[in-house]
Amino acid sequence: MDTSSPSAFVNGALLRRYIGQKVRTVIQVIGSDTGSVVGKSTDDLQIVVRGPSPTPPLTTYLEVIGIAESDNSIRAETWTNFGNTFDPQNYNELCKLANGEFKHLFI
Amino acid sequence: MFSSSQFEPNSAFSGGGFMSSQAYESSSSTAKNREFQGLVPVTVKQITECFQSGGEKSGLVINGISLTNVSLVGLVCDKDDSKVTEVRFTLDDGTGRIDCKRWVNETFDAREMESVRDGTYVRLNGHLKTFQGKTQLLVFSVRPIMDFNEVTFHYIECIHFYSQNSESKGQQAGDVTQSVNTTFQGGSNTNQAVPLNPVVSSQNDGNGRKNLDDMILDYLKQPACTARQQGIHIDEIAQQLKIPKNKLEGVIQSLEGDGLIYSTIDEYHFKHVEL
Repeated sequence: MDTSSPSAFVNGALLRRYIGQKVRTVIQVIGSDTGSVVGKSTDDLQIVVRGPSPTPPLTTYLEVIGIAESDNSIRAETWTNFGNTFDPQNYNELCKLANGEFKHLFI
Repeated sequence: MFSSSQFEPNSAFSGGGFMSSQAYESSSSTAKNREFQGLVPVTVKQITECFQSGGEKSGLVINGISLTNVSLVGLVCDKDDSKVTEVRFTLDDGTGRIDCKRWVNETFDAREMESVRDGTYVRLNGHLKTFQGKTQLLVFSVRPIMDFNEVTFHYIECIHFYSQNSESKGQQAGDVTQSVNTTFQGGSNTNQAVPLNPVVSSQNDGNGRKNLDDMILDYLKQPACTARQQGIHIDEIAQQLKIPKNKLEGVIQSLEGDGLIYSTIDEYHFKHVEL
């Protein structure tokens, strides 16, 4: 996979726009299964993340960078712990801006 | 957090001073390609874009501002510290990748770079340089990110800076020119009232308002008024200055007492005392 390609900032609702493309988002883990993690996106939608599980210890919020597989699942390439004090609302607004008026600054 | 801007005198803004470029832009007539010494938050995409449109110029231009010092947030990749004096790595901020170089001359620098590993999110402050067609970042400050709200913050700041500069570029042309008060001299020698521009002269007293005395004197000093032998009737003064007669009476009396005006044919006609 070409990891140098830019990744779009998405939340749950924007994920469907980038199916097959590289995306990044922050989720709050609500459950995990073998080979997949179920998380809540910054706009309170459920996202399933498949692929190699993140290595513990995990914080409340995790950033996942990977390829969007469907409108609610991502195949992860990179996980980053984003801490416990992350503000999901700010990130959500950023996603909207980065895909809207200011898209040309990002993608 | 940001290095201070040594450029703007009024950079009291907490954003590191680059926001005050707005104030500067409206006062300078040519705002394009100015040297801007502040620290600008950018995404890698902005850097690569502006480089492509600018070509091999001396400075990179983003939003009409020639800039060299930038601030970036992203993931460190391909860290190469095989050389003792310099550390190279690539920064991937999700919008693109840029090569970075950090000179390590002191132990402080070395320690700073040790904490930076592949896969770490860092805040970089550095100097943009183009070398052999490639844009590179000469980094002078690297800090691993502890609170990841900084990541969100950085991108929002990039958006903010960009939109601030796009806005101020649009308003740039509308410089407000000071309206100058000009003295209007009526050139009539007849007995008719002298047409008077409501803003007669720029003569102001200390508190910026025109005194009634001055207004009357100014009116009477006009050549058309001084030319009239019999003086100006107080009714006419009231009409021309658009001030009620009763207000004028007291002032005229004091002006007369001061010896600035005198009554002529009767107690209602006045002329300015010419020395």
